Amino acid sequence: MKKALLTAILALGVALSSDAVLAHHGWSWTTGQNMVLSGVIKKVRLGNPHGVLEVQVGNEIWTIEVGQPWRNERAGLKDGDLSEGVEIRVIGEPAADKSDRRLKVERLFLGDREYILYPDRD
Amino acid sequence: MEAFFAALEATAPAQYLRVSRWGYAAVSGAHILGIALLVGAILPLNLRLLGLWPSIPRANLLRVLVPIAATGLALAVLTGSLLFSVRAQEYAAVGYLQAKLVLVLVGLLSALMIHRAYGLTLEGASQARLRFHALLSLGCWLGALACGRLIAFAID
Repeated sequence: MKKALLTAILALGVALSSDAVLAHHGWSWTTGQNMVLSGVIKKVRLGNPHGVLEVQVGNEIWTIEVGQPWRNERAGLKDGDLSEGVEIRVIGEPAADKSDRRLKVERLFLGDREYILYPDRD
Repeated sequence: MEAFFAALEATAPAQYLRVSRWGYAAVSGAHILGIALLVGAILPLNLRLLGLWPSIPRANLLRVLVPIAATGLALAVLTGSLLFSVRAQEYAAVGYLQAKLVLVLVGLLSALMIHRAYGLTLEGASQARLRFHALLSLGCWLGALACGRLIAFAID
């Protein structure tokens, strides 16, 4: 019984995975190199702990991590600026795992206006 | 289940925490305080059950550390539920969170079972029983801490 219990716990811890659209802490998972993506916002999930957009870039869907509410607000974004159908250009660091199609935004453009989420990063 | 998680996300505390800067930070900080109390108490407690510090009476240590650990767990569960409610549908699908909840449940059941059988100070429990509980408990709570931290860093 004891062994079975321990095995079950280990198996659960190791085997479970998911494809949730949550975001990551920090920058350790990114490449350290910026890239630019342009596309149309398909899905929006703003709010703590991180905001997440799904953006259609060509024929790919990218998961775009923006800021928490205070960071987006500080950058000058208003409620409704990031919404479905809006064209967006983002500059930030993609996940080191290229197949992930995930990017954490440092700054973004809506039309010609620039919104800087991380002023201290290049 | 999906409907339940959606309803959880629509509750007033979840809606407030989703947009609040300092409110979210406070709940997040309180969650860490709960974990600190829990793990900070459970670690020396279990090491004592495994035979460390034999000169310190076990009952004295248990009288201090069991209530601290229980308080920490209560705080962590309360604040953890609030943090979960902010993104319930997404968190529910995260493997690390599911694993963490299993570990917490097993750790809690193990503690409830041994204290129900032998009381707060575990008088009369065999060495083998204490040892098994201590190892299981250490594995569960340290594992839960690790899984919890991974939620923020290693999704996918």
